[in-house]
Amino acid sequence: MKQPFSLGDLTGIQVRPARLWSHSLSWILFVAGVALYAHFSIVRHRENPEDRVIPSATQLVQGIKASVFEPAEEDDPLDPGATLVQQVRHSMIWKDTTSSARRFFIALLLLVPAMLIGVHMAVFPYAGAFFLRFVLFFDKIVALSLLPILFIVFGIDEWSKIMLMVIGVAPTLMLDAYNISGSVPREQIVKAFTLKSTNLDVAYRVVLKQVLPQLINSVRLNLKPLALFLFAGEMIASTDGLAYRIAIMRRHMGMDIIIPYLLWVALLLFSLDALLRFTNRRLHPWYQPL
Amino acid sequence: MVSAALKPLEEPIEDIAPISAPRRTEIELRDVSVSYSAGKEGSKTVLSGLNLKVAAGEFVVILGETGCGKSTLLRLILGQEFPTGGFIEVDGKPVRSIDARCGYVPQKYSLFPDRTVLGNVMYGPENAKSRFLARLRPSFFSYRRKLRVEAQAQLVRMGLRPQDMDKYPHQLSGGMQQRVAIAQALLMHPPVLLLDEAFSALDPSTRASLQEQLRDVWLESKPTVVFVTHNTAEALLLGTRLILLGRHREDRAGETNLVLDMQIPPSKLPLSMQMQTREFQELLEHVKQLAYKSSSLHLDDAIADRIVEEGNLA
Repeated sequence: MKQPFSLGDLTGIQVRPARLWSHSLSWILFVAGVALYAHFSIVRHRENPEDRVIPSATQLVQGIKASVFEPAEEDDPLDPGATLVQQVRHSMIWKDTTSSARRFFIALLLLVPAMLIGVHMAVFPYAGAFFLRFVLFFDKIVALSLLPILFIVFGIDEWSKIMLMVIGVAPTLMLDAYNISGSVPREQIVKAFTLKSTNLDVAYRVVLKQVLPQLINSVRLNLKPLALFLFAGEMIASTDGLAYRIAIMRRHMGMDIIIPYLLWVALLLFSLDALLRFTNRRLHPWYQPL
Repeated sequence: MVSAALKPLEEPIEDIAPISAPRRTEIELRDVSVSYSAGKEGSKTVLSGLNLKVAAGEFVVILGETGCGKSTLLRLILGQEFPTGGFIEVDGKPVRSIDARCGYVPQKYSLFPDRTVLGNVMYGPENAKSRFLARLRPSFFSYRRKLRVEAQAQLVRMGLRPQDMDKYPHQLSGGMQQRVAIAQALLMHPPVLLLDEAFSALDPSTRASLQEQLRDVWLESKPTVVFVTHNTAEALLLGTRLILLGRHREDRAGETNLVLDMQIPPSKLPLSMQMQTREFQELLEHVKQLAYKSSSLHLDDAIADRIVEEGNLA
């Protein structure tokens, strides 16, 4: 018979919360965060109605409206008769999001060969001997310290920012792909050879196909470092992008824009992560995470 | 009832390279030694001066304690490892790498987790038929349809149900997985089938059922089988020949060689009934004493030589 809930359950290892409990618990910290913010905002606005450090709900709504429906300060104003879609397409947040997303996805695309190199390092011993020590060393270089070199080599245009992301994340992804691919049981590789596989069959149809869900998980875990390097590049040398806007707004104490931007970035990354997780589940129904 | 689609084919499939009659073959090991580097302790010899000849169609069971080199011997035949001394031939050709002359069924991890049961079984013959872009040809699709029927028939022979065909390995029990692994190896019709403790992780009833099926498969097509186990009863039930690996001399600790090479008396009884006979029980007791009680395999050279010479204990 099911035991009634007791306070001791909260610290129990062998108890599982019911679905409703689990769902409710997962929202508590969000609600607490909003409540704390509202409390401090109200306190500060009571002292100074013009306070911009912790904007009120009204200020935030105005900030969001300005971001979503108005062009950036540096752009020309829209015709008064512009449609809602036109307003959004020429808005500050749209411009910044598309610029950042372009850099982000180009970098992500360039990381695919890095992961393939990692797989080859694990499968082909000569490739492993060739790359491993260098990648291990390169992984320890603080990517941000390369920024001046990247600016000199690639200029301050798009490629320096994209390369910063690639150089910052590629060694970690390569090593992760190497470790994941190396954990494929030897028995399966031997078995594949007894089933008339060639070396390429083993690399691509046995190992890569098998580790793909884990590689996607690895990319998911590296979304934040990728965004971090993107932000670093944009904050230092850019004329558009989500991080550029945050850096500009910081100078004007524009917390009513900064906070919606932060939440927007988090939402974008959360959605991308969810999309990758969903894709992984649909493409690899056989995958059993540990 | 077996559905129409799963009935064995009445006519052999043409142009399917791997599905042909099993070839007769022979395994030969001449003066084979294996040593490993053991760091500061120098090198460790696992097998020393091993000579073994397996005739085509034999069912050889290799028995011995854990760590005596049974699996190493299997890996040598497979081409996964190479001897530090001596020479190995399979089917008259030296073993230089892993290839499809040997079918292989390990204890675990024998199936590709990303493929369904049918996908696993069809993987080998598809590889043998054509590669990469050649798989886009219409002829490959018609071949695949025929192969699918053949693979289903093989799986049904191994005791799988039609509804299991599209399951992934993680959805099957350990016993089912091993049935699929054996079917996967058999569909290639390898001249040599190597099984490394293939039933060790299974419960007794599943194990007994798989033993029966393996025995039936062997009686049907008589491939050369090398079966590694540490279970004495299993060794005597399945094999036509028993190879006992152990150590000859105390002063060469760690080195393994044959301490017993005997023909197992044939029996027409089903395996379960065979176990009940007095002769089998006597033989089992005798081999067990040799293998696990008589000085834990540290047999005196003279005794070992005599046993090898006599060949048959029964």
